[in-house]
Amino acid sequence: MEYAFFLGCTIPLKLPHLEKAFRDVASILDVKLKEMDGVSCCPEPVSLQSLNIDTWMTLGARNLAIAEKMGLDILTICSGCYETLKTVSVLLEEDEKYLEKINAILKKINYKYTGKTKVYHFVEIFSQPEWLDKLKELAVKPLDDLNLAVHYGCHLIRPSKIMQFDHPEKPEKIDLILEALGAKTVDFATKLECCGYCARLQEEIGENLVEEKMTELCELEEEVDALIAVCPACTTQIDRKEKIVARKKGKELDIPVLYLAEIMAIALGVELEDLSLKQRSVKPNKLIEKLTT
Amino acid sequence: MTEMLKKNAKELDHNFRYEISEKVGAKSLLKCIQCGVCSSGCTVTEYVDLQPHRVVASCLLGLKEEVLSSQAIWTCSLCHRCTERCPKNVDYSFILALLRNMAVKEGKIPKEYSGTVVTIYDNGFVVPYTGGLKDNIDRRRNRMGLPQILPPNLDEIRYIIEETGLGDLAKKKEGDK
Repeated sequence: MEYAFFLGCTIPLKLPHLEKAFRDVASILDVKLKEMDGVSCCPEPVSLQSLNIDTWMTLGARNLAIAEKMGLDILTICSGCYETLKTVSVLLEEDEKYLEKINAILKKINYKYTGKTKVYHFVEIFSQPEWLDKLKELAVKPLDDLNLAVHYGCHLIRPSKIMQFDHPEKPEKIDLILEALGAKTVDFATKLECCGYCARLQEEIGENLVEEKMTELCELEEEVDALIAVCPACTTQIDRKEKIVARKKGKELDIPVLYLAEIMAIALGVELEDLSLKQRSVKPNKLIEKLTT
Repeated sequence: MTEMLKKNAKELDHNFRYEISEKVGAKSLLKCIQCGVCSSGCTVTEYVDLQPHRVVASCLLGLKEEVLSSQAIWTCSLCHRCTERCPKNVDYSFILALLRNMAVKEGKIPKEYSGTVVTIYDNGFVVPYTGGLKDNIDRRRNRMGLPQILPPNLDEIRYIIEETGLGDLAKKKEGDK
């Protein structure tokens, strides 16, 4: 199985340890990743779309056209890239006139987007039944003793008429992957609440959302070993704000936030030293202890 | 809460609703029944000067300036629950993007949003990747055994940004008026 690997910006340039974890997982699972030459930012769905929808769509279509030239479908590891590329592909499939307008611009730089490229987030691939079986089989260090909480984030699942990914209010795909690897996933009220990263104008929005989520998780009867997220923005937002809120409010919030590929890598046998688990604000010391004893 | 606004019919922009709804994806604006589902599920509903259903009502009434100057259109966290739950399939997320585009054309851009296009124009990425910053990133990746970053094709990216109308904003440097 081979994909055009769309890396995006935040993970490779700011959080390369997440990319490392994913590449390790892909290699163990024998998923071939072909690098994409010349691609740009997806472009990011929050501010560029806000500034000019045409710029956002056209840059997105160029990235899709590059995959099309490679004759491969796209695999993304960031919910933002996934949202942009999937939205552009779905909207252009529905609107032939708009596609013509965009292709008129792309033609001058020798691209044509025809709509052949499909866009996948890695969760979408690995949550298919045959992959879940494979994960069960290959989990050399199953996560049997772990209680994990899942943060889906917004852009992976909504709007469902475009993302067509999972149930928009009751998603289960990440839970299925973690369960296949042996972990228990917990149910909690704020599971589907936004991380607030994209509400850029008011810092307190993100802080309040993260405080609510992490406080609930810390107060659950069963101790939660980690919160698992799949988007670099959610992952860093919750991690940093958890630390800030704990300090500001004098609360004991100490649940580490891991990116899904990191916990997958652990279960699939990647050595803990080869993952940069300490590289976050809330250190996963207890988790590491649990994994090594 | 906003204060009561009193306006004469002739002060309203009666074309505003069509200016929005003519765009594919925003036609749904005209179907709003003001049920308020969008506002009740909105992540930032306590923080905005106009809740989502009031933004839509204001668009339908023709309160163009009030909408485009509102803080509400930029405060949204883009959780997309409004669009997901609307019983009339009004795509509020998309309409909001369109309203932001219109505000940008009038020069109303919060600084938290304007820098992105400059960074992409200069780097091809939304994260700075030139000079010393690039060296640091490359070194870090190298240590982890990650492949080299393939450089984005800046000529093509800049061409698209200019051709689609963001060239001026992209070339604006800090301190420019």
